[in-house]
Order: sequence, then C-alpha cells, then structure tokens
Amino acid sequence: MNRTLRLFAALGMLALPAVAQAQTSITGSITATADIATVWSWGTVTALNFGSVVPGAAANATGSIALSRNVGVIYSLPDGANTGKLTSAAGGTIMPTFLCGVGSTATTIVTSFSSCNGTGSVLTIAAPAGTVNEFVIFQGSLSAAQTNTVPGTYAGTIRITATPN
Amino acid sequence: MTSRTGLGVYFALLLASWPVQTEAQSSKSVTITPVQSLSFGLLVPGRREVVPVTDMARRAVVALSGQGPVDVTLVLPSALETAAGERIALQFTAGDAALLDTGGNSLGTLDPRQVNRVQLRNNRTVLFVLGGTAVTTTTARPGHYTGRVALIVNQPGT
Repeated sequence: MNRTLRLFAALGMLALPAVAQAQTSITGSITATADIATVWSWGTVTALNFGSVVPGAAANATGSIALSRNVGVIYSLPDGANTGKLTSAAGGTIMPTFLCGVGSTATTIVTSFSSCNGTGSVLTIAAPAGTVNEFVIFQGSLSAAQTNTVPGTYAGTIRITATPN
Repeated sequence: MTSRTGLGVYFALLLASWPVQTEAQSSKSVTITPVQSLSFGLLVPGRREVVPVTDMARRAVVALSGQGPVDVTLVLPSALETAAGERIALQFTAGDAALLDTGGNSLGTLDPRQVNRVQLRNNRTVLFVLGGTAVTTTTARPGHYTGRVALIVNQPGT
C-alpha cells in the first residue's frame, strides 16, 4: 500500500467515528393559547331617594350604580331629557336638577357627564390598565319651589347605557 | 493488488457504505405529530390557571413514534402574547409533562424543563403530554393570547 492509499485509509478511519456520532434531530411545535375575558357587569345599585320631603323645603339625594369593567366604555342616557323625571300617580311631575358622572366611590363624582339629560354619548372613557369598579353617580336636587307641590309619591327612573369601547 | 487497484477498492467500499448508513438512519426515523394544543381557555385577570397533565381537554398532546432512544427537549415560552404584545406569564415545573401510551396509561412523569430520554419501541406511538400554569395579572387586557412550544427530538448516535 503506497503513501496515498495509507493516507486515504487513515482519513477514512477518522471519518467513521463522525458518522457513528451523527444524530438525527427533528422539531415539532405545540401551540399554547389562552383568552382573557372581558369584564363587564353592572353591580350594586343605590337608589336616589329624596325621602319624605317637607313641602317648600329643598332636598338633595345621591344614587349610584357600580360597573365593573376592564375595557373602555361609552355612557349614554337613553331617556335623554326625561332622565330622572319624577311623576306621581296623580300625574304631577318634578324634574330634579342633577349633577352626574363617574367616580371610584359611590358618592363622589370624579369625571362628569357632558350632560345629565342629553341624548347621545355623555362620557367616553378609554380602557383601564386593569379591571376597575366604577360608579355612575347621580346627585339630585329639588328646590323649595319644586317641593311646594301636590302631595304624593313621586318616582322615576334614571336609565344609563354603557357600551364597551 | 497494485496501489491504484487498492484505492479503487477502497472507493468502492466507501461508496457501498453510504446506502447502508442511510438505511440505518431511515430505519430509526422518528415522527412527531402534534395532536392537541395546550389550551388554558378563558382566564380572569389576576388569577393562576393550572393545566395538569391529567387534564385531557386542555393539555397539549404530541404523538411520537419510532425506534430506539430519543432525547426530547422543549423550548418553553415564558409568556403567551397577543398580537399587540400584551403578555400572560407561563410557568412550567417538574411533572408538567408525561409520557402516555395510546391507551392513556402513564409511562412516566417528565420534567419539561429538562432533556428527557424516551425509549421508543417497534415504531409504536407514545403520547407526550404537556401541562403548565398561566399567571394573569390584574392588568391583563382582554384578548387572545398565543405562544409556541418547540419540541426537539434528537436521536443520539449509536
């Protein structure tokens, strides 16, 4: 065997371990998924109740409804100008004066609605960083002149629409 | 035999050896078939959600078949993400993976964070299953979160 053949044989021998150590590798993939739910629910309602009002005396009351959400919201008042109007069985009506908006507690308005008896959206809020418990608050006032009226029970409804934004 | 003749014989032997080697490799081929995704489902912000390997509906399942020992390595994501880049952290611990036969019987618990040697026999299918834990923060945004687990099956040399 000449030198070339010996060299080639040596190279062949060196190559064999490399072949023996060769590995076969294959790769697959698995998909992993999760969905974060939208949190969107009305909560506790506190009625706006003037109570028993002395005729000719002013009266104030606060009502609220909680909204738990983790998305943005558009508030609107579907009853528009009749929002919160009080009527009696005898047909009498009283329209309180309202301050309205939202806050982190049930009593203090932090961000006011653009109107308490308007049509269309009255407040738009962007998505929060996380889930928030927000309160929609209406603070009603009756003037002395308004309470100086026919006795009876006056009742009404404040309807609020919250649309995810 | 002259040296030239010897060289020719050697070439012939080397060439003849290639098909044998190729055949040996192909007979040891391993197949990976994803069967089911790891699905945490609908989550609430600020909670931990565990998918155990026993959760047949939500665990990931991958079918492996072949012959001989294989090393199974997972590249585990640290989080699931939305297209916008919002994240849900993922955690994997020892016991979050297991090997089952096709009848659903456990062949052993595995640590998905480690390289696991699995013995495949007679091209029978075994099922590699994976669970895990998703940890949502209170600030997790609504949406669809996805991630990908790479599964690398390596046949060690003989």
